[in-house]
Order: sequence, then C-alpha cells, then structure tokens
Amino acid sequence: MKMILAKTLMSFCLVFSVYLMDVRTAMAHGEKALEPFIRMRTIQWYDVHWSKQAFNVNEEISVSGKFHVAEDWPIGVPKPEASFLNISTPGPVLIRTERYLNGKPWTNSVALEPGGDYDFKVVLKGRLPGRYHIHPFFNLKDAGQVMGPGVWLDIAGDPSDFTNPAKIINGEVIDMESYGFTNGVWWHAFWGILATAWLLWWVRRPLFIPRYRMLEAGMEDELITPQDKLIAKSAMVAVPVMVLAFNAMANNNLPNTIPLQASLDQILPLPAKVNAGIVNVDTLKAEYRVAERAMRFDLKIDNQSNAPLHIGEFSTANAYFLNKELPVAHQDLSDSSSVSEEGMSLDNNDAIKPGEQRTLTMVVKDGLWESEKLDGLIRDADSRIGGLLFLYDLTGKRYISSITAAVIPKFN
Amino acid sequence: MSATISNRSFRPYTGEKARISRAYDYLILVLALFLFIGAFHLHFALTVGDWDFWVDWKDRQYWPLVTPLMGITFPAAVQYVMWNKFRLPMGATLCVAALLIGTWVTRIFAYHYWNFFPINMVLPATMLPGALVLDFILMLSNSLTVTAIFGGAAFALLFYPSNWPIFGMFHVPVEQGNGQVTVADLFGFQYIRTGMPEYLRIIERGTLRTYGQYATPLSAFCSALLCTLMYTLWWYIGKWFSTTRYLNKI
Repeated sequence: MKMILAKTLMSFCLVFSVYLMDVRTAMAHGEKALEPFIRMRTIQWYDVHWSKQAFNVNEEISVSGKFHVAEDWPIGVPKPEASFLNISTPGPVLIRTERYLNGKPWTNSVALEPGGDYDFKVVLKGRLPGRYHIHPFFNLKDAGQVMGPGVWLDIAGDPSDFTNPAKIINGEVIDMESYGFTNGVWWHAFWGILATAWLLWWVRRPLFIPRYRMLEAGMEDELITPQDKLIAKSAMVAVPVMVLAFNAMANNNLPNTIPLQASLDQILPLPAKVNAGIVNVDTLKAEYRVAERAMRFDLKIDNQSNAPLHIGEFSTANAYFLNKELPVAHQDLSDSSSVSEEGMSLDNNDAIKPGEQRTLTMVVKDGLWESEKLDGLIRDADSRIGGLLFLYDLTGKRYISSITAAVIPKFN
Repeated sequence: MSATISNRSFRPYTGEKARISRAYDYLILVLALFLFIGAFHLHFALTVGDWDFWVDWKDRQYWPLVTPLMGITFPAAVQYVMWNKFRLPMGATLCVAALLIGTWVTRIFAYHYWNFFPINMVLPATMLPGALVLDFILMLSNSLTVTAIFGGAAFALLFYPSNWPIFGMFHVPVEQGNGQVTVADLFGFQYIRTGMPEYLRIIERGTLRTYGQYATPLSAFCSALLCTLMYTLWWYIGKWFSTTRYLNKI
C-alpha cells in the first residue's frame, strides 16, 4: 500500500513539475473568441495610438483613436444603447484618470448611434510595475466586449510610490488608496467585539451534548438563566439605540452626501468621417476562398471628390491589409501587430479619377484571416463581413468607407 | 432518546465524560466555523455578489433590499438548530461573524493582494447588529413567529443605518468630467474592472422609485417585509435538513 502511495505521489510530482516548466504568461484576453461578425460589424476602430508604451509608476499616458459604429449592425446583437469604453488590464495596474469622447469629458456609459463617427481619448496613470498586454475595448450592454488593437505596456518603478489624490467638493484632498479604510476597520472591529462577547458568553459553558440532554430531559429553564435574559434585554435595546445614534452622528458629520450617480452621458457623433458621401463604395459581392485564405470583393466605387484616388488599406476587426502599390504613406500602424504589408491586391491599380465610377476586384489575402480567427465567419449564423476601406489622394488626404456584404465561401 | 431521559433521572456529566463532551464542543465549533465561513460566504457571493464586493454598488435602493434578504437565510436555518436542539441563542451571530471572517479574508487576499484593488474599494458591509438583535429576540420570545416578524424586520431595518457610518463618507461628492460623482463612483471610474462596465450596476432602475427622494426607508421596509418571509422559509430549511440522530447514539 505504501509503495502504491509513493508511486502515485511521485507520478503526480513528475506531471506537476512538467506543467510548472511550461508556465507562461497569458498573452491574450479572449479577444479572438467573439464571433467574427460581431468584431467586424459593430465597433470599427482605426487610428488608435498610445502616447507611450514604457513609463513609470505615477506617470500619465494616453490612448486615443477613432471608431465608426457600423451601419450594418448585426440583428443578433442589441443596439449600443449603453456602451462603456474600457481598458483591458489584469486588475487596476493602471488607473483611468480622464476619458473623453468627441472631446467631451465622459464618465458614465453612453448611447452610440449606428453609422456614427467618434474619437476618443483615455488618460491612464501607472500604478503597478510590470509588463502588460492592454487593449482599449467596448463593453456593449447585452452584447459583450469588442476589443480594439492591443499593445504591450511596460511600467517601471516602485508600487509604493503610487499616489492618487482626489479633491472632494468641499476642497479637501483625499488619498483614494486609503480613504475610509481605517474608519471601516474601526466599525467592523467595534461590532466584531460585541458579537465575539456574545458568542463567548455562551461558548464558555458546556454546549452541545450536555445542553441537548438537559433539553430532552425537560430542564429548559436551567439552560437560560435570568442573568442571560437580563443581558439580552439590555442589549436588545442598546444595539438598535447605538445603531441609530451612530447613524445620526455620521449624518451630522456628512451633511452633503449624494446617492451613487448612474446617468447615461449624452454625446452626439461627429460630423461624418466615414461614408461621408464624397466617395461611395458599394460591395457587389464578397467571396472567401478557404484554401487561399483570401477574401475577394467586387466593389463599385464612385469618386465624387475632386482628386484621383487610390485604394490603400482594408481593415476589419483590428487586422490591416495594405496595398503596397499605394503611392503615398499609409496611416501609422506602428502600434498594430496584425498588419499584412502586402495583403491587398487590385485588378486595376490605376487612380480612380474625379467623377469616375469604377467596378473593380479587390483580393485581401493573408494568414491573418486564420490567425485572427476571422475565417470562422463563414460558419456563423450571420456570415456578413464588415470593415473599413481607406482611399487616398496624392496629397495623402484620406476617405473612408464602411463596407459590408454577405460572404460566399469557396471551399476548393 | 428523549423519552428515556427524565428530569428525575438526569445526571450531569462529570470527570472524563465532561472533559470529552467539552472537547466535542470545541471540535464542533471549529468545524461549524469553517463550514459557515465557506458555505455562507459562497452563498452570499453568489446572491448578493457585486452589491457586497464593490463600494460603487452600495446604492440606497437595491443594496439595503437585497443584502438583508439574502443575509438572513443561513442565520435563520442555523438558529433553528442552535435554538431548538441546544437552546443556544447565537446561531445568527455565529453565521454572520463567520461570513465576515470569510469576506475579510477574500477581500484582503483575493481582491487586494491578488487583483490589486485598494482594500477600501472592497470594504465589506456588516450585518452583525441585526444578527445580534435576531438572537436576542429568539431567546427572549422563544417563538418562530415573533422572531420572524420582529427579528426579521429588525435585521433588515438595522442594516443600512449600521453601515452608513462605514460607507457614508464614500458618498461625498467629487467633481469629475464636468459632472458630480460620489467618491464611490470615482473608485469605479478610476480603478479599472474589465468585466464591470458602469452600466452593469443596478442603480435606481425599474419601478421601485423614490418617495419624495427618500429611497432607503422604502427599500428597508420592503426588505423587512420580505425578510420575515425569508426567515420563516429558511427556518424550515434548517428544520428539514438538520438532524441530531448522531447525538441520540451517544
């Protein structure tokens, strides 16, 4: 028997040590787990930029960017009537000190409008040193989390240096890290001591078996003494009186308190940035070729601007596919990890002239469709694709269209 | 067994029997403490949950309604056993004290050290005053009905005022983003919780409205009424699921 036990223990230790050798830091937050049609056709992020990716405890950084709320919002996803721009962190290793939507301070949730364009900025302050993979993302009520592009942040310094002062409305400055803690502990200790005294009052005498036997023998009156009753009567009056007195004292000390705030912020979209009416793109057909990992779009483009345009990029669910033939610079994608530098090809790369309507074929081909788990779209109940198409003129001016189409899979 | 012991033939334990009986007391007490720490804490985390975890969930309407209603459950069941079988009027206090031990351990080690939240953001609430009164009323009345009506009501009504000295200071206003929030709201905004967007909080939603802007007394009385019913239900749960048949064999 001892031998079996020893062998079992050794086997367990062996398996556990192999497991320990392979312990790795979590690299993601399940951002690819959400169905592709939700990631592609709800919040369409672009121009997301971090002011710094290496900084110290107490130092402030910001993440800013833009997003378009897709017009082709999936029928299976509740409309974004309460949405909260959040930051994915492993706990509050950073704190959020300020947040802006379209330049306006933004504290609570907000109702987003499908088809609306927004820009955002979140100011963060380093709290705990470490290396963290962080995304901005949207919590959409009843729909889930739609991630923006992620980066690695390095926070250096000493966690004990962190301070977070806040000025309450009477002008007093409080330390958010410790405010109210001593007071809370004091009250818990006060009631804890009274409760302990009551418990000890009973525990000091013989308990279960003797009392059970006496109760069964009809000696109930001996189990509760007059002194017990006197204490209980006194305490029954004293406890509520103390509760009400302490409550009144707290009210006197805090004359200006307010209930928790829970209003929805009202912030309107910006004037149209995407689908602004100058360049109109209609998706005639979309096909996904599984074996080639290629999405083929037939697009009808109507250039109503006064400059010739080139298609430069297609982005969907934080994956960027670039046209290497673009004669001007692409948007800054240095913070993005899912970029296909040569992923886009066109059957006609000539500039689309002002006033021209052209039908062309765009093929977006890269392993990103698979590695970003976007190819699962063809097996979704809602297999429509959505994304942003970026067109540039020769001065680098950019026109953005949010395109959408049903996807036809080609398995061979 | 009860039929076999009469008042006249009853002999108290002495010597070795008394010593073993006392050791048994301590064994049961320690086991009960850990059982209630685990079981009641789990029950509380699953039912009251965020209302008890976070300072910015402790609103004036649902927090005083939900917390006593879910908090009176285990105390009622344990009171049945402790009182009806042993005439020990400490079931509610023992349960709530065990809950608080479990809660403090979790808040310090899981929320603060493991997940980095400031401990003041996750301060637990106390139900000890209500639990004490519940025990006093049961002891003095020796009646399920009286304890359910008056004890259950007191348990609910004492909850908010006994916690206001702890949490009132988190309701001081702060200017944030061209608006006013409480210090508690500011905690929720600043200390990032990825799975806890602001809209998830249930703050003055639904048809439970304020009356002349006084929400808490209405909630507390609503909770008091429900607590009388919940107390009775859980008293009977304690009755159905407890047994002293092992004592009968001693």
